[in-house]
Amino acid sequence: MVVSARITNFLAYSSLTVSRVSHLGNGSLRYQWLLSRNTSLLQLRSKIQTAVPSITSNVSVPKENIPTADALVRPDLEGLYEDIREGLTNTQPELRQIAQYYFNGEGKAIRPVITMCMARAINYHLDQNAPGVIQKQKKIAQIAEMIHTASLVHDDVIDVADSRRSRPSVNILWGQKKSIIAGDFILAMASGMLARLQNQQVIILLSQVLADLVQGEFMQLGARENKDERFAHYSEKTFKKTASLIAYSCQAVSVLSGADSTLQSIAFQYGRQLGMAFQLVDDLLDFIATSAQVGKPVAADLRLGLATAPVLFAAQKFSELNPLIMRRFQEPGDAETAFRLVLRSDGLQRTKELARQYCNDAVTQVAQLTPSPYQQALVTLAHQLLHRMK
Amino acid sequence: MVPRSCLIRWKTRHLGSSIHPAVSFSRSLFASSQVYQTSWVQAVSNAEKVVGFPTSFLSLRSVANDEISNIAVYLKKLIGTGHPLITTAKNLVYSNDKTHQTRGLLVLLMSKAAKRESGQDILPEQRTLAEITELVHTAHLIHTGVINLNTPNANLEMGNKMAVLCGDFFLAHSCVQLATLQNLKVVELIAQAISDYSTAEFIDIIASENDSALDRWSQQMTLRYGSLIAHACQSTLILGNNVELIESGKSFGLEIALAWQANIEIQSFKSNANRADHVLSKLFPETPFVDVVANFQAVRDRHVNAALKLLTAFPQNDASLALGNIARALKC
Repeated sequence: MVVSARITNFLAYSSLTVSRVSHLGNGSLRYQWLLSRNTSLLQLRSKIQTAVPSITSNVSVPKENIPTADALVRPDLEGLYEDIREGLTNTQPELRQIAQYYFNGEGKAIRPVITMCMARAINYHLDQNAPGVIQKQKKIAQIAEMIHTASLVHDDVIDVADSRRSRPSVNILWGQKKSIIAGDFILAMASGMLARLQNQQVIILLSQVLADLVQGEFMQLGARENKDERFAHYSEKTFKKTASLIAYSCQAVSVLSGADSTLQSIAFQYGRQLGMAFQLVDDLLDFIATSAQVGKPVAADLRLGLATAPVLFAAQKFSELNPLIMRRFQEPGDAETAFRLVLRSDGLQRTKELARQYCNDAVTQVAQLTPSPYQQALVTLAHQLLHRMK
Repeated sequence: MVPRSCLIRWKTRHLGSSIHPAVSFSRSLFASSQVYQTSWVQAVSNAEKVVGFPTSFLSLRSVANDEISNIAVYLKKLIGTGHPLITTAKNLVYSNDKTHQTRGLLVLLMSKAAKRESGQDILPEQRTLAEITELVHTAHLIHTGVINLNTPNANLEMGNKMAVLCGDFFLAHSCVQLATLQNLKVVELIAQAISDYSTAEFIDIIASENDSALDRWSQQMTLRYGSLIAHACQSTLILGNNVELIESGKSFGLEIALAWQANIEIQSFKSNANRADHVLSKLFPETPFVDVVANFQAVRDRHVNAALKLLTAFPQNDASLALGNIARALKC
């Protein structure tokens, strides 16, 4: 059973390669980068398969006083949210209010933190005497956060949410129609900022994120009939919905510092692996956190009809989950049954394991960068992510 | 052979019947309501011949992929609910009437009108831009068709979900296409257009101390429709390197958009049974029907004349003549 777990993980991991190549849409330029990127990924795949999961970086990790990534780049991110809000002021008062609503600085800001750390680590790697962060790289962090937030606004309407970050969601306060339009507005402002960075490649990278975000949402709508395809489908959807933005933001900041394609690939891969791990941890916590709360027995994802990694793993042990997955847990008692079966299975354990593998791979990527506090911070981010699972 | 005008009249009546009452009338999704203008249709049809029938244009089938085919399943459930998305989708999938893609046509005509030498053809980038213009406009229509739901309603919620996703799909596709144009200014201009149509939704057509209701209407329509057409015209002239015509082209785009929209309001006002709720009644309160129509026709004609004047800066060729015909057709 250990063997089959390894194979599933392997398939889950490698499906990412396959799906990335097969979903190359328009743009031959992008095709070529991805091709070069995929070969390096293929080399890494075997390392994951045979090695005992462990950190393979050659950077020593001092036990005490490691500054968190957050603390390290806080000066760079000073005023990030103010700047974003500033960029959204030039419009009608009500639109301004809605657009600025989620930029109150209370989110985790994980994307800007990762982006800035990567920017500094790459800049240092290229030139140890270089200034810390180029202004344009900070703009990427802003743009990434705006794209992310615009997608949150639309998600709240799509999911008929009523709250976010302990406050009423935008659709509750202003209605669905205005919320959607506000989301478009944020996106438009982000695109304008992107254009003013005067870099063609960066525009191509970040507009691909937009396409991926939408496609990820569509993928979430459809369930795969064939249960063998389900994990690959979930992995690809996870890349598009979560990892894509982080990966392309990392690549974009590396482009701005003049990185060649190898270095860009490192940045992209780190972002991608960390992004995948991030979502897996989220999916895991959706089960663990819920079971710790009294009176809230069912995970939010199940209620939305979504079969995430823990459920998909559990279904390999309890095949009675398959019809429930197909009908998206719609029938009364479905979500509760699924929840129970997940906890009884090794689904959570295997999800942790997979997240760990992604994190390890992310660390292996940035181990190739010149050691610096920022490069270290990227390693620490991966550790912190794994720590969330405890 | 049934006269074309009769066929069009039937088609419009059929498509126009199922709009949800929540969608206000003056924002009707079609070029006109029950009574179709033959001269407009004629002008547009002739114009299509000038640019060689825009065959690369947007249709839902051409951008379809696996995920999009999921939509068809959900859309079927929406039939009969009156969600605006059904009507928009019908247009995209089943319409062979190219008049629904007039914005793209205007961009192509502008591209061609600016060419000083007869051998020059419309650039591939300009054709892509025409498609992007239609994509953005479609996304706008779809997103503004989202309904405010105060009580749970599974079908309409699904409709909203589809509307959000489809609109997002078209916007994302536009952005990816925009990136391929390799022109930063054009990206900025189209992004501005999207930002403008969003802002338009938050403008009230209520007179204030500085602006009359008519001024507010103009502001709103400029942002909602004018910006996209104007910026698209400007962009295509940038792509075609017709620097000296950029200002005229941009202004022409704005004037034609306002004239077109004014004409839509007039036509819908004339054929609407419930006039009190119509935007024109609000622009000209306590005015007899005939005077309202006359007043607004004057507004429309001012814009048409302005557009025609701007066209004189362009070389005399089939395309600029076609643009002139389209503008004049609005006066009928």
